[in-house]
Parts: sequence; C-alpha cells; structure tokens
Amino acid sequence: MQTKNLKDWKNELNICIRCAYCFEGCPVFKITGWETDSARGKIILAYGMLIGDIEPSQYIADKMFQCTYCRDCSERCSANVSVVDVLAAARADLVEAGFASDTHKGMAKNVKETGNIFGDKEIKAPVQQGEIPVYIGCQYLARPNQTKMYLKILEKLGVKPLIKDEACCGYPLYALGFRNEFEEHKKKFLETFPEEEIIALCPTCAAFLHEGYGKKVKHITQTILEHIPEKNLGLKATYHDPCDLSRVMNITEEPRELLKKLGIELVEMPRNRKTSHCCGGGGGILMSDVNLSDDIAILRIKQAIETGAPLLITPCPTCEQVLKKAAAVVNEKGNGTIQVKNLSDVVWKALRT
Amino acid sequence: MKIDLGKLKGIVGQDNIKNDIADLYVYGSDSSVHKAPASVVLRPTTIEQVQEIVRYANAELIPVIARGSGSGMSGQAVPIDGGIVLDLKKMNRIIEIRPADMFCKVEPGLVDDDLNRALKPYGLFYPPAPASSRVATIGGEIANNASGIRSVKYGATRDSVLGMKVVLANGDLINLGANTRVEASGYQLDRLMVGSEGTLGIIVEATMLLKPLPKFRCFARASFNTLKDAGEAISGIIASGALPSMLELMDNIAITAINTTLNIGLPDVEAIVMFEADGKVKEAVDAEMKFMKEICEKHNGSDIEMSYDLKERTKLYAGRKQLFAALSRYKEGLSCTSLADDMAVPYSKMAECAEKIHEIAKRNNVVMTAYGHCGSGCMHTKILMDPTKKEQWECAKRAVEEVYEYVRSVGGTTSAEHGIGLSKAPAWKKEKADSLKTLKAIKKALDPNNILNPHKMQDAPDDWVSATELRYPVE
Repeated sequence: MQTKNLKDWKNELNICIRCAYCFEGCPVFKITGWETDSARGKIILAYGMLIGDIEPSQYIADKMFQCTYCRDCSERCSANVSVVDVLAAARADLVEAGFASDTHKGMAKNVKETGNIFGDKEIKAPVQQGEIPVYIGCQYLARPNQTKMYLKILEKLGVKPLIKDEACCGYPLYALGFRNEFEEHKKKFLETFPEEEIIALCPTCAAFLHEGYGKKVKHITQTILEHIPEKNLGLKATYHDPCDLSRVMNITEEPRELLKKLGIELVEMPRNRKTSHCCGGGGGILMSDVNLSDDIAILRIKQAIETGAPLLITPCPTCEQVLKKAAAVVNEKGNGTIQVKNLSDVVWKALRT
Repeated sequence: MKIDLGKLKGIVGQDNIKNDIADLYVYGSDSSVHKAPASVVLRPTTIEQVQEIVRYANAELIPVIARGSGSGMSGQAVPIDGGIVLDLKKMNRIIEIRPADMFCKVEPGLVDDDLNRALKPYGLFYPPAPASSRVATIGGEIANNASGIRSVKYGATRDSVLGMKVVLANGDLINLGANTRVEASGYQLDRLMVGSEGTLGIIVEATMLLKPLPKFRCFARASFNTLKDAGEAISGIIASGALPSMLELMDNIAITAINTTLNIGLPDVEAIVMFEADGKVKEAVDAEMKFMKEICEKHNGSDIEMSYDLKERTKLYAGRKQLFAALSRYKEGLSCTSLADDMAVPYSKMAECAEKIHEIAKRNNVVMTAYGHCGSGCMHTKILMDPTKKEQWECAKRAVEEVYEYVRSVGGTTSAEHGIGLSKAPAWKKEKADSLKTLKAIKKALDPNNILNPHKMQDAPDDWVSATELRYPVE
C-alpha cells in the first residue's frame, strides 16, 4: 500500500513511547477491552503499515475506522501525539488503497451530489440577510426546528444572523479519508463561505472551520452567553461536553456559565470538560458501527444518571441524538431515567418565561 | 508451533480470542524497544480458564506470556518466541476489601488507580503509586515489583503483598502467603513470585496490604543550580532520619522536556528536588517539612515552594507523572527510548550517578536524562536519540553498558522498579553472575518445559539489540 499520507507522520509515530496512558479514557477500548482497539493499538497498526511490517487488510481498515475522534487520547498523552491526525492519514491511505466502506463511500457521494452528508436535496439552509455569518452545518440543517430555534434565539438577543446557501464544511470527507474529494469540496466551500469570522451552531463544524480552515469561529453558546439576560428556570441538570467543543475548541466554561445564568443548577459528571467521556457519535462510527456507538453512549448516559440530575443538556446535535437513544435503552431496562435536551431548548424556554 | 485454536476458543469463548495478524502485531510490543508477534491472544475471565490454557500449553510446549496493560519498558511482555499472550485485563474484579484487616483481595487485571478509587471511601489506599498507575495492573505491578513516588515511605510492591494465588506451569493452582502481615513459615514463595515477570507462574489473585489515607499531605519543590547539590540534599534528607512520603529528583533535560510539552513553567534550573511529608497530625508533618526544607537550604536549594492545598500541590508536582512521554519532545528529531531506564544506587552516590549519566551520554553522542524516586535510591534515565539511525543504536548500546558498569561499581542494581525483561537482561546477568545457576535452577524446577515467558531475565539473549526485531525501522 502507498503510505503517502502516513509518511508525513513518521516522526510523530516515533515520538509515541507506547506508554498506554491513552487506555485510560479511550471510549472504544472501554467497551471492547482489546488493545488493538485503543489509540495505542491503532498507532502501532499505522506504524506497522508505514514501515511495511503488516499489509493493509479490511480488518485493519475496520479497526482504523473504529474511532470516535474524541481526542481523549491526545488530551492524556504527555507527548502530545496527535492521534487523530495519524489516524486521518492512515484512513486516507486505506481509502486510496480501496478499503473505504460502502457507507462511507455513500456519504462522500452524498456530499458531492447534494452538498450535505445525508444526500437529501430537500435539506437547505434558511437563507436570510443579516449582519453576522452563521454556519449551521448538515446535522442542524437536518433538524430544521432546532435550527429555527437557534436563529430565533439570536434574533431575540439582537444578533442578526446572515444565513447563506451553505454546503457541508467537508469535515466528514477529511475525517473519513476522502482526501481528493475533500480538496475538491474545500474550494467550493470557500467560494460560498469566504468569511473569516463565523458563528457556528454545530461543535464539530466549529472545530473544523477553526482547525481545518483557520477561520475565527465562535460557537453559538459563546454568542448567546454574551447577550442573554439572567433568568430563573429553577432546573437541575448535568452538562455533557461535546468532544470537539471541549478538547478542540477549549470551550468548557461558557456553556456552563450560560446554563447557570439561566438559573440551572449544574451537577457535574466525574468526567467533565477536557476529560469528558465521548457520546460515541463521532468519527464516522455512527455510520459504520452503530452497535459500538450505542454501547459508548450507554456508558455516558449511565454516568449522567449517576449524578442524580433529571436532565442532561448538550449543544451538539449528534451527542443529543445518540444520548437520547441511550437514555431510552437504559430507561427501558429499568436502569434509571434522564431526559436529554439540546441547549437550544432550555435557552428558548428561558427566553419565553 | 501448532496451536489448536478450536480448543482455546472452547476454553475462553469466541469473544475472548484473537489471531488476526493485526492483533498479533499489536500484542507483540509494549513500551520497550522490542517487538515480536504473538501466535494467539486469549482473554481468560476465570482462574479455571487460566489453568486449562496453561495445562494445554505445557502439554504442547507452547509459550505463555501473561500481560497486563503492556506498559512495561524492558520487553517483559514481548512474546520473543511467539506463543499464547494471556491478556489478563478482563480479570479485574475487587474480590473483597477488609478495612479491619487492612487488606484487599483483587484479580490481576485490576488497574491500580481503579483500586485506589474504590479504597478511598474506606479511608485507605494502596501505596506503591507507579507513574503509570492510571493503566498499570496489579498483576503487572507484582510481576515487576513496581514502585513509585511513595515507595520511599511505604515500600515497593513486594512490601504490600500478603499473598496470592498462582497457576503453575503444570496448571496447578497454589495459594501463597496468608491474610496476615507476618508469616515466618518456610520458603517465602509469594516473595519469589514478586518480580518474576511471569516466568515462574501466572498470578491470578493477590492479597494486598493497605494503608490508612493520611489526613495531611504537604508538598514542596526546591530549585538547585547543580546536580551535586540536589543529590547531596537528597542523601542528606535520608541520612537525617526524616521520613518523606516522596523525594524526587529531576535534571534540566527532564525540566526542559516538561516545559516544552506541557508549558507549565517549571523553573529553568539544573535540578529540582520535590519532597513531601504526610501523616495524621499536622504539627508532625510541619516539623518534617521544616526539617527537610532546612536540609535543602543547607545544600543551596532555593525558591522553595510548599503547600498543603491539593490544587497547589498538583500544580507544583505537575509534569512529573507525564515526564516519560514528555521526554519525546525534548528536541526535534529525537525520540525517547526505554533504555537504561531504571537502576538503583546507594544514596551517597545519587549525585555522582546523575552526573555520570550525563557524562556517558555526552561521550556516546546521545541525550540522557536523570530523574527518579531518589528517596528510595531509584534513578531513571532514558536515551533520547534518532531511533532510525543504525549508528545511534551502537551509541546507545555503549551508553547502556557504561551506565550499568558504573552502577555495578558502586554496589547498585540494574533495576529498581521497571524489571529486567530483555533490554536490561545483559547488564543484570553480569550483576547476578554468581546467582545465575541458582536462578536457572529455580526456573527449571517450577517450569521444566520452559513455557512461562521464556527467554527473559536470566535466560534472555546476551545482546539486547538483536534479542528481537527493534520496533523502529533502522536504516
């Protein structure tokens, strides 16, 4: 296999001392318990392919795609090894070698043909004139009511959102190894979205617009916090940090300050902020390995239930989706109850009271 | 080697066996420089399963390599001859905690930090505290006789082992030790297992001594302009009769690596000494800290910061636990290799040892750091080099030889807490030259077919560089 992407990371692979500290928080390893599924395991496999010790196979490709890109490993790595960059390079080489899954290929085709990951031509941004460019992202566009709610919140707070006929930010293409498709898409994206300062609704899009395009990105929770008056909802809740918001964007306090400002008593899960446990919805596994995604989400929802809070709040649509499903499963088995809400729901409720 | 996978699958079940080349490759390495693929990976969940596997392996002469998290640095868990890798991480239950008797019984795959989290509500803790406690398993710690920052006061793993259940090479299960602090009857076979690196038996349950959590902990950090002063402060503290619960040294290379990676602004000095006292009575801790502070000052220690506050203590101690990996970022193009990683020397030789390490590194064109739990006589280093260059390995080999030659010359020992495995075996065999026959006889008596982690320690190859393939592609 050609390792043209991986070879750029050879030094990074040498820097990993294989201490296994990444075992501690890796959500996939927590579920399967096999070292091959841990961040170190994947690093060893990437290195093995790079130096020609092992030949790529569908099994290895499956392992490489079995990661939520939550970056807990990098957060715990004392050598700051950028595991997701190494994995993204390995995935790109594997895709070029023909190991992309049909689901992922379908997603790439969807982005090319419709501009969104779902391949749904009906999914359109609610284009409107305004002052501040707001990027909605595929996941929120597929949830028009939630998007509307966020836009109404902004308007109510005096922020005039400029909504363009946007396309996917391209992160799924990049993360799933479709490098050529990404480069092509990137040009188109930048043509429609050349603005340098953006408010983003989705944490993952926010992180990629910041990291991948070098744009100055504000997450919507930061904007809301700047403008919202104090309220008194009188609720008790726990907050789930989306990985991209906490570990990539370093936005951990603003959502908490916002919820406190709304009169919500916050009860923290032991794993919070930079050490937050992933919901299981990222990195493409929701598409390729839904059972694994479900198991990870159940682990997280149990941590939330243990806080005793009746409500979990998160600003990420994917986290919300998988955690809602997990809460229903746990509830059905009689192992506790918790309601899962998007942050927009509580903000909107506060603004209406 | 012919392995009946169907039979093994029958023992552990479909979900607990792996034999894809990818899994065998991953389980063929640890945190050392070595690699050698496993033949099959099994995850037993009961003692009976371990017995069945070992009985089968003994009959078929298949190597069995017990493995915790594979965080060992000397190649202990690398299956040099292939064979069955026994991943014990699924045997991770706490069987019982007996606060009145101050011990607990646990399975070998339990992670150290998980045990300590479970003990906290009882006001107890398990003290050895290796830097890798977040992933290190109790079985692995026993097999390597691990120790850590608090060993200066509370001892190494061997001081915490009351007893254990062990599966022998023929599959028999034996109970060693007792539920008591003291035991004076006969050969101390439990002690023999401690540090045996899986070569004499598979530890399947352990009875571990616990300590009460101290009410007060005070931590201090002192800066020194020379390694000599820092080393003398350490031996001065120990010789004074003070009882630190931590006494650590870091040289400037370690400080630079931590500052580069973690950006926490450690003072840019030649050496840092960290010391801590703990206890039930604050006045006693105060007195201990004052005493140690004065000794540091006497040896030109300066900028001594001290705190009881957990947040402050964590800030002052920041970086030490992450040092091993951080060393990989010391300088562009250099990687941190686990070589000459561990040794012990008499207290009075601490400073000399640190200086010697730097001198040897310079002479051999590699970078080496000096740090460690010096309060318990333990010195660590690592070799920072370009691992893809053949000449660097020749330099590293010479440096390792010279370091351990020095250690032997002052009556020190090859491993303080990381174990022998493959990469430290040549030096250790020189140190234990007159015991080798006895060591081999013990191995032969307990494992006549040489199936348990073969060719490690006294039976390891004489040249560590060629003992297995190196995990780096060497040009």
